[in-house]
Amino acid sequence: MIELCRDTYRYRELIWALALKELKIRYKRSVLGFLWALLNPMLLMLVLTLVFTTIMPMISKPHYAIFVLSTLIPWTFFAQSLSYGAESIVGNADLIKKVRVAKLVFPMAALVSNMINLLLSLIPLLLILVAMKHPFHWTWIFLPVALFALTLITLGGNFFFAAANVYYRDISHILQIVIQLWFYVSPIIYSKDLIPAKYQIFFKLNPMYYVLNEFRLSIYDGLLPEWTNIFACYVCGLASLVIGFYVFRRYQDEFVFYT
Amino acid sequence: MMDSPVVIRVENVTQRFRVIHERPDSVRELFSKFFRKKVKYHDFEAVKDASLSVRSGEVVGIIGRNGSGKSTLLKVIAGVYRPSAGCVTVTGTIAPLIELGAGMHPELTGRENILINGLLMGFSKQEMLRREQAIIDFADIGEFIEAPIKQYSSGMFMRLAFAVATEVNPDILIMDEVLAVGDFEFQAKCFDRLRRFRESGKTILIVTHSMAQIEEICSRAVFLDHGRILADGAPAEVAAMYLKSGIGEHAEPILVEAPSARA
Repeated sequence: MIELCRDTYRYRELIWALALKELKIRYKRSVLGFLWALLNPMLLMLVLTLVFTTIMPMISKPHYAIFVLSTLIPWTFFAQSLSYGAESIVGNADLIKKVRVAKLVFPMAALVSNMINLLLSLIPLLLILVAMKHPFHWTWIFLPVALFALTLITLGGNFFFAAANVYYRDISHILQIVIQLWFYVSPIIYSKDLIPAKYQIFFKLNPMYYVLNEFRLSIYDGLLPEWTNIFACYVCGLASLVIGFYVFRRYQDEFVFYT
Repeated sequence: MMDSPVVIRVENVTQRFRVIHERPDSVRELFSKFFRKKVKYHDFEAVKDASLSVRSGEVVGIIGRNGSGKSTLLKVIAGVYRPSAGCVTVTGTIAPLIELGAGMHPELTGRENILINGLLMGFSKQEMLRREQAIIDFADIGEFIEAPIKQYSSGMFMRLAFAVATEVNPDILIMDEVLAVGDFEFQAKCFDRLRRFRESGKTILIVTHSMAQIEEICSRAVFLDHGRILADGAPAEVAAMYLKSGIGEHAEPILVEAPSARA
């Protein structure tokens, strides 16, 4: 773990440059460029509001768009990071085969580029907040607590899937399906209170359950963090990171032979 | 030069590869283990029990036929592969030019690639920004420096890659047949720079098929065959030995000045 911190610090410039490179490539050749990072959540909000207020209002909540976005933004970060992370080693095979480079920079860069996206998408969220006259809760100051736990969980996943995908390319395909399913079993488009009591236990096995809850409390409800919830976030986060990094480290010297 | 310090020490290095014959990297492989169907592969030793010490200030040319393990040996020294057996100790910074434009992204501009490339080699951003102008001047590709490098010709590509690798002032420069691409004018510029590199006491490892290059700039040559070091010594003698080794196995002798052998 100390090694992880030390290497992250040592290669910070490289990680940052790779993350920016990824963003540049993502938005290259589009007229609006980086604006898409802001526009995407806006357009999504329009769709959500339309669908859930007119077509299926039964699970709707007041200011439903904000209700959903408060968890959808962290979810998008999580899902995108994992897909990018899983491809990060295989996709950089060219590099790994020709230059000596610390392998951990690739899953890290996948995380950082999506983190930039997440932070950018807070801007349209604020605009929407103002537009819908939803109160701006002071509990936003607790967001970093939830965000850090989310980062730990995501980073662990990135490491794990990046390594696994080197050996079995099927992983990234399977991951896509799993993420889809995962989306629906996480309280994003519905409230966690809607989960029938007898199934609660299963939903609580999902690490994202706690993290997303934390985001919703701070942004939408304006309530203080639930400390047991925070605790669960960090237990999941640390477990994810330790397992993910352990697996990654164990196999990183062999990546070059399999990519 | 005999008393200058050893900067590269390769001791009994063997590099083994698993060559998988069909359908690698898939869950099928996993299933096939359950069904006891063996995945076909063979182990291949690209470098066998090689030992080599290079002192600072030496220019070592590595020669041998295609598939003799030259590039693998360079990659082991550059730290791309961890050897299956034996160990490698390197003192000082390395700029590897293993292949043209490794670490260059086609969508990014030349300028952006300079930074990424330098960071990948382990140099700091500050250092790269300081050297940026010198790199651009040496590469001499004009306006193209602001264009995505996918639009470069292979010559421009090579100019930029060579400029980055040599301008960062590494202690050790590793080159794998990269010089063949440039035009004669740029090649002359490269050789001039290599000569100055050598004079300032830096170490160069170079793989080439041009015996003229070997005899012109190298102070020592190593002949690899089937992963083994067969000869190590004065360039002219080793080159002669290499050329002679082809006769007898082939109907006609190998050309002295082989044209660019890059695949």
